Amino acid sequence: MNIIIVMIPLSFLILIGALIAFFWAVNHDQFEDMDSPALLPMSDCADNESEQKVDS
Amino acid sequence: MPCLTCFHCGKNIPADQQGLTVQIKGNTQVVCSALCRESARWIFKIGLDGFYQRGTTTRSNNLFQSEQALWGNPELLQHVIRALPRGQSEVCVLVDDIRCNGCVLLIERTLTGIPGVVQAQVNALTRRARIVFDANKVTLADLIEVLNDVGHQARPLDAAVLNDARREESRTLLKQLVVAAFGAMQGMMFAFIIYFGPAEEMNNATLDLFRWLGFLVASPVVLYSGQAFFKGALRGLRARQVNMDVPIALAVGIIYIASLYQAIQGAGEVYFDSISMLIFFLLSGRFIEMRARHRAIDHSEALAQLMPNFVERRNSEGDFEKISVTQLKTEDIIRISEGGHIPADGILLSTHAQIDESLLSGESQTQFKKTGDSLISGSLVLGSPVEIRVTHCGDDTFLATLSHLANRAQTQRPRLALLGQKAAARFVKYVLGLSALTSVLWFFVDPDTALQASLAVLVVACPCAFALAVPAAITRSLGVLAARGILVIHPDAIEKLATFDYVIFDKTGTLTLPQISVKNIYSSLDKEQALQIAASLAQQSSHPLSKALVCANKSPYLAAENIEVETGKGLKGVIDNRLYYLGRADFASELFTKSGLLDKNLPDLVLSSGDTVIASFQIDEQLREDARATVAALQKNNIPCEILSGDAQNRVGEVAGILGIEQWQARFLPADKLSRIKDLQAQGRRVLVVGDGSNDAPILAGADVSVALASGTDLAQAQADIVLCSERLFSLIEARDTAKQTLKILMQNQRWALTYNISAMPLAALGLVAPWLAAIGMSTSSLVVVLNALRIGKDTEKQNKKITQGKIPGAKIQPTDLHALRTAQRTSL
Repeated sequence: MNIIIVMIPLSFLILIGALIAFFWAVNHDQFEDMDSPALLPMSDCADNESEQKVDS
Repeated sequence: MPCLTCFHCGKNIPADQQGLTVQIKGNTQVVCSALCRESARWIFKIGLDGFYQRGTTTRSNNLFQSEQALWGNPELLQHVIRALPRGQSEVCVLVDDIRCNGCVLLIERTLTGIPGVVQAQVNALTRRARIVFDANKVTLADLIEVLNDVGHQARPLDAAVLNDARREESRTLLKQLVVAAFGAMQGMMFAFIIYFGPAEEMNNATLDLFRWLGFLVASPVVLYSGQAFFKGALRGLRARQVNMDVPIALAVGIIYIASLYQAIQGAGEVYFDSISMLIFFLLSGRFIEMRARHRAIDHSEALAQLMPNFVERRNSEGDFEKISVTQLKTEDIIRISEGGHIPADGILLSTHAQIDESLLSGESQTQFKKTGDSLISGSLVLGSPVEIRVTHCGDDTFLATLSHLANRAQTQRPRLALLGQKAAARFVKYVLGLSALTSVLWFFVDPDTALQASLAVLVVACPCAFALAVPAAITRSLGVLAARGILVIHPDAIEKLATFDYVIFDKTGTLTLPQISVKNIYSSLDKEQALQIAASLAQQSSHPLSKALVCANKSPYLAAENIEVETGKGLKGVIDNRLYYLGRADFASELFTKSGLLDKNLPDLVLSSGDTVIASFQIDEQLREDARATVAALQKNNIPCEILSGDAQNRVGEVAGILGIEQWQARFLPADKLSRIKDLQAQGRRVLVVGDGSNDAPILAGADVSVALASGTDLAQAQADIVLCSERLFSLIEARDTAKQTLKILMQNQRWALTYNISAMPLAALGLVAPWLAAIGMSTSSLVVVLNALRIGKDTEKQNKKITQGKIPGAKIQPTDLHALRTAQRTSL
């Protein structure tokens, strides 16, 4: 039963870590645009095309 | 092998890569790659069908190139640029021709590749790019030039759109929601141990520890996530109103403080888990609501037609110089080139002009104006450039008055009955009274039980289920409607949508398609080929007939040179060293004049070369394919329909005849329409108006409930309660069915919540309900409400599938709503 003395603070640490990570993500625009990124993996050719155009 | 072009990107497809297809609205379209296929699907899914037509309309490129340099003007820059700390600037530009996610990537990479650009974000849905740059290293004009180079025209938007309020709102709410979710989960875990922990190992010190742990996780939830409710309650109380936030704030506050008191006493029950859960439930509802609202605003702004930024004004030397529209004054003489919007009301100085007023008056035919005629702002110049003398500018223009009228009509709209809120407020008073009574009575009987029993009353009778009853049903139905391409902008509209009993339709753009379609082609050549030649020529003109040709054309464009427009007649141009004429029959070929055919059924457009007539095109307005089904369905439900249009008598009559609508009025001005609606309302009718053009805006606002089709102008959408994004008129019937079902379930929910509370309260007051049982009761009652709300859309889904078979089900915009509600249920268990 005494193990809870360790386990509970540990769970709080994990919780706080998760919250910090989430707040960081929100503040860094990770949740701004939920539509466009979902499609980006489909564009296997877009990478090459865009880089060529940037170079030119 | 026929030459195939990609439906999405318009490129030719090499013979060895043919075979990929995509199903769009029941038609099979050929595409060149998996990327284009997904892009096309996605564009239709979110209801931006108009995109494919829009993309082909031509705009003078020179106009943009000459404007580019003007973005160096510091006075103008003030309007569009927002200064950030450390010498950085922020601008939001509307980017044309974003066709796919490839474009998004391209633009983002191109922009971030420019030295001096700190950050660039492109949203494919809203077609906006937000750019943060260092004004010392790069100028806005440079950025726009680079975008032009990669094939995208960019137009800076007013700095007001950079307002962070919306972004801040969604970020804060998201954070609060997640904190509440974490707190509720943890809190429940600790509460579980208190209720069901191994009794033999639980001494009072351990119980104490878990009470304090519960307090620890509930505090951020109450103090951070619950802020909105406390603030809302305060706002309400200051205005001497008991709004929905008051009972919630009171319940949360009292339970929190009472539980804290119990924890300090080291005895009795704590309800930290219950309040965390309550806050989480309510926040998820708010979050879904907010997303639906933001989505609606995005949609209307993405389709916004902008007023011109610049105008050519004649200076004292008689030359034309470009100035910003904001600098325009009355008596200025300005020139507007073909395809431009008129920025201010004025008198025509040129000998003649062709004007498209379809957005403002509903008139679908091109207007021919002579010297001295007045022109109104917002209309489109077709044919040759025109010069006008400005009579009204700024806030005095017709367009500004129109939107002002719309605003006024909107403020006159009676507010929806606040019955639910009032009931809840009354309800809370009873609950507070009862728990006070309980504690007083128990104080005399058994002081130890007093706080326990009165807390149990508060928890059992917590208006959670009652507070959720309305939002759960409304948010679910908003989600269901959004998934079918119906965006509800004012949540009040759902209630009115279920009860309307009279429908008024606008004609142009509502019952008929805004694009005028090529009906019949008679040609000596292959029809496709004739259309290809004609469209290649027509691409250079913004006349409605030219647009119709361009829209009908599926083939790639041919290179046309030396195009000359003869106003009111047609145009000529060279393709492959051959001179073609395209235009009115007597313009394109003398044959028609000679043969005496002039008086009879003349084709609307003729394509000729030399003496030979190559093709003739018959053009007509096209009825929306589901217009008839929609009107029939309404009439079947005993809802009379009426058409009020600004268009000509014969055109309106024809449409009314086909649709079987007996009541119709042609040549109606906005004021006439509004008074007609007032008449109907005086007769006790609840009027629904379906419109499109911005001349409908005041009428849309005056109606009991208003619906706009997404192809309409931004003004009309801003005033409408409901926007049909999928551009299917029939979704109106679906919306009505869903709204009816929503009201039914909403009533069920309220009745259930009330029954539960009333039957549980006496038991709690008598001290018969154990605290953990009270908490479970409260959660279960909320769960029932949420589960019941999820039934919305189930029945109508099946029913409507039968009717709209073969068509794609509307845009699926909010897949999150279901998920969030389901998550809410899981957490509550």
